[in-house]
Amino acid sequence: MEDLRFPNWITLAMGVTLVAMPWILPSLTLASEILVLATGALSCTLLLGSVGLLSFGQGLYFGLGAYVSAILIRDFAVGAMAATLAASVAGCLVAALAGLLIVRRQGVYFVMLTLAFAQMGFFLALAFPKLTGGENGFGNVTRTTVAFEQLPLSNPLLLYGFLALLCFGAFAFVQRIIASPFGSVLNAIRHNDSRAEALGYDVRRFKLAAITIAGGIAALSGAMNTLLLSFVPLSAIDVESSERLLIASLIGGVGSPLGAFIGAAVLSAMSDFLSPIWPRWSTIVAVLLIVTVLFLRDGLLGLGRILRRRPKDALNG
Amino acid sequence: MSAQVLTFGALNGVGIGMIYFILSVGLTMIFGLMQFVNFAHGAFYMVSAYAAFAVAQWTGSVLPALLISPLLAAIFALVSERVLLQRTYNLPHESQILITFALAILAQESMTMIFGTLGKNVPVPEVFSGVVILGGFVYPSYRLFVVGVAAAVAVSMWVAIERTRFGAVVRAAAENPEMVGLLGFDSRKVFMAAFAFGGALAGLAGALAAPLRGVEPLMGREALAIAFVVVILGGLGSFSGALLAALLIGITQSLMSMIWPGGAHLMIYGVMTVILAFRPAGLMGRA
Amino acid sequence: MLDRRKILAAAAVGIATPALLRRAWAQQDAIEIGSLVSLSGTFANIGEQVDIGSKVAFEHFKSAAGKPLRYVQLDDQGDPGRAVRLTQDAIRDRGIRFFMNCTNSAIALAVAKEVASSGGVYINQAGADEMTGSLCNKNTFRWPVATYSAVNTTVRPFMKQFPDAKKWYTITGQYVFGDSLLRNLKDVLGEIGAQHIGNSYHSLSDREYSGFITAAIAAQPDVLCICNFGSQTVDVLRQAVSFGMKRNTKIVVVWSTGLDQFQSLGPDICDGVYFGANYWHGVDTPGNRLLTGVIKEKLKVTPSYLLTAGWACTQAMVEALNKAGSTDVPAVIKALETLSYEGPTGLEKVRPEDHQVLKDYYLMVGKPKSKMRDKDDFVEVISAEKAFLAPEKTGCKL
Repeated sequence: MEDLRFPNWITLAMGVTLVAMPWILPSLTLASEILVLATGALSCTLLLGSVGLLSFGQGLYFGLGAYVSAILIRDFAVGAMAATLAASVAGCLVAALAGLLIVRRQGVYFVMLTLAFAQMGFFLALAFPKLTGGENGFGNVTRTTVAFEQLPLSNPLLLYGFLALLCFGAFAFVQRIIASPFGSVLNAIRHNDSRAEALGYDVRRFKLAAITIAGGIAALSGAMNTLLLSFVPLSAIDVESSERLLIASLIGGVGSPLGAFIGAAVLSAMSDFLSPIWPRWSTIVAVLLIVTVLFLRDGLLGLGRILRRRPKDALNG
Repeated sequence: MSAQVLTFGALNGVGIGMIYFILSVGLTMIFGLMQFVNFAHGAFYMVSAYAAFAVAQWTGSVLPALLISPLLAAIFALVSERVLLQRTYNLPHESQILITFALAILAQESMTMIFGTLGKNVPVPEVFSGVVILGGFVYPSYRLFVVGVAAAVAVSMWVAIERTRFGAVVRAAAENPEMVGLLGFDSRKVFMAAFAFGGALAGLAGALAAPLRGVEPLMGREALAIAFVVVILGGLGSFSGALLAALLIGITQSLMSMIWPGGAHLMIYGVMTVILAFRPAGLMGRA
Repeated sequence: MLDRRKILAAAAVGIATPALLRRAWAQQDAIEIGSLVSLSGTFANIGEQVDIGSKVAFEHFKSAAGKPLRYVQLDDQGDPGRAVRLTQDAIRDRGIRFFMNCTNSAIALAVAKEVASSGGVYINQAGADEMTGSLCNKNTFRWPVATYSAVNTTVRPFMKQFPDAKKWYTITGQYVFGDSLLRNLKDVLGEIGAQHIGNSYHSLSDREYSGFITAAIAAQPDVLCICNFGSQTVDVLRQAVSFGMKRNTKIVVVWSTGLDQFQSLGPDICDGVYFGANYWHGVDTPGNRLLTGVIKEKLKVTPSYLLTAGWACTQAMVEALNKAGSTDVPAVIKALETLSYEGPTGLEKVRPEDHQVLKDYYLMVGKPKSKMRDKDDFVEVISAEKAFLAPEKTGCKL
């Protein structure tokens, strides 16, 4: 794992990148989408990279956050910031509840439980079309204002700024966790949870905490998605949504929160630039995934490390 | 809702369940032996269904596909095992899940590239194109045929596992791979054979299902979702569990579709969640 | 070496034209029209066809309002979120004001909202009633008919032919669209004195319908009416026929996309089944003769509904632009609202109160294989009617 102090150069790099993105990328909405996906992927990174839990179900919380914030904004005239916070809290609550069930299981059973939850979320959303809009989605979520009604989110640059702030907040928060004693325990659990148990830590409680936090982060990204699109498609809560978050975190590398951002950026960029050329661009994603699992254990971040190491090896002969 | 209608619903459910059984038994076998969940199981099913479509196009009937598709699926399974999965045996179990997941995506995209995005129709073989009437119950002959094939597979598998030497080796390898190695069997070869066989079963399911449900790129996902529910409910690694669970799920689905269709999916995944949380061994599995 | 890398990097950045430093592209002389199609994902089969149909139309019409037309393909991958993003980009970064097409209602509704908030024109093929109902807006127009029209123009003519078919059983998709079809069906059945003896709901992701079909058979209906859309229609029909339902029951499919579904099912299944459709290539109208001729020449295929839908939206946009004589959005909207032209189904008019195109919807019956004159002659058209909900009842307030 990376340099564990907080804040560190990665924090700085993230901040700079977030500010620079609108100037570098050809599309502001692409930059905003990367922010949303990166925040969502962060929840997978936290679970897999820090605790060793593979979750195929973060899309459930993403969708939950999206719907909760949309309903609050459209039907209860709640402000954007409050709705986003409420959505994150909702994500934490549901994740905690689900976590109580999930945390008892290990390995394959854990993964399949997360998948079952993801499926249930989809069918729940379909089962209550009056609440969620069903297959037509939940629309007409107006873009309101933030900062005591001073800054309108209908301005795309201001919207980006708000999303960037949220993304950076989540990112810094996760870094802080990793650098903390709590994070060290999570790391110990990831390496060998029976040993951690033997050392006196209540492993289940720590895992539950991680699951809860990850759920909140995923819900946060769902709320961000609602702000970006001003509606909630049914696809926000389907299984592919969970898969997208997971794939982004994997190809970027789960070893560090930065990986979530890199994976999100690569995935979104590929989607934008490749799909007009080759509709079957997901093939490349699948290949990248295989390469990552087999060779690049730390994803694309790991690639950077390998390349940096090579010249040094050459020097050492 | 009369008793007669409910009975017919249950009978129909048995038919559905037998299809689900063939679909899922390969997955549970592979887990039982190799301790990993094959997320590409649905891909074997889908590729075989496309093969069945191709066979039907060339020869005018889908029946030869019942032999060709499982063979193709077995080859596909073997090749994936040699090229990809072999490298993951020393990696944490997530790697196997993720690799097979990626393989599934590759398979889906490849089939789309070859056959296009539009769903394909596979006609039911002429000889089975009618219906059978049992009392007041109407049932397509082809579905009856599928049930028959599934039953034959179930019986032969049971006999093979419980009554033959090979079955004994397989069972032993599942309990204790090292011991089997010490006894002179190459457990790796046993596993490869098992993986190929599991794939072949998925292939048979694909070929059988093609005339029933049509062939399209996303059918693998649906199959995988069903297979997961069945093997979890039945107990990962248990053959009889898969049979029992498949029948239960089939009957539940058929009856629920008469009573509360919207709830069918919720109920099925809800049950899966409860089982996983409280009794992960499922109905018949060992903990 | 470092310098070369830096130069290359800078060049790459320059080519990518940063969003914030970009000004709206000079309009030059072409009219750019954004086309929302899904080329990957679940709806790729629909998107591909609509895309091709529109492209052929663009090649044919070439220009409107005196300026050349340029087709801008926006692949939303079946995701409404992406569709919204692409629309935002097209409006903001490329200054595009005219949009068309969708592969499903969720995408259409989302894009319509986006286009309305920026002031553009959007013509689409959404099936959801709300598109020209409670969610209508003054920038959006819809070509195909909605559920009220589909039900009324299929069930009523059917009942005229079979007045004794009193007992109707429905298999309905349990989602907003399916429910709309069912609701309208129940209303019509009530009015003509038929009986709705039962309904089976299936969900959006179902593929196994034997339970519903068994229940339907047990109810012994005169008519089995299928109220859903897309591949689920094909699957339900295929399985219903495999259970031998055609022997004792008439089957009516209210919402069919026609040729592509028939090709998927084959003539044996379609024989004797009643289909409702927005378009059929066999109907002889000036607009259809034109479009069939062009598509047969360019693509060597018979036009399906999806190809035609792509053509139709293009045609409507072109006609409106020509009528307005300019690319000024309010002028084009006004032109559209009073537009009347020779479309694929005959003379088509736009209704100003809700922006719905008033056009025929067909009731067709499948032919036996022996009666097919060519490989695409699957059905006989037995009725072509217009039936639309009165504007005040649609819930649309423009």
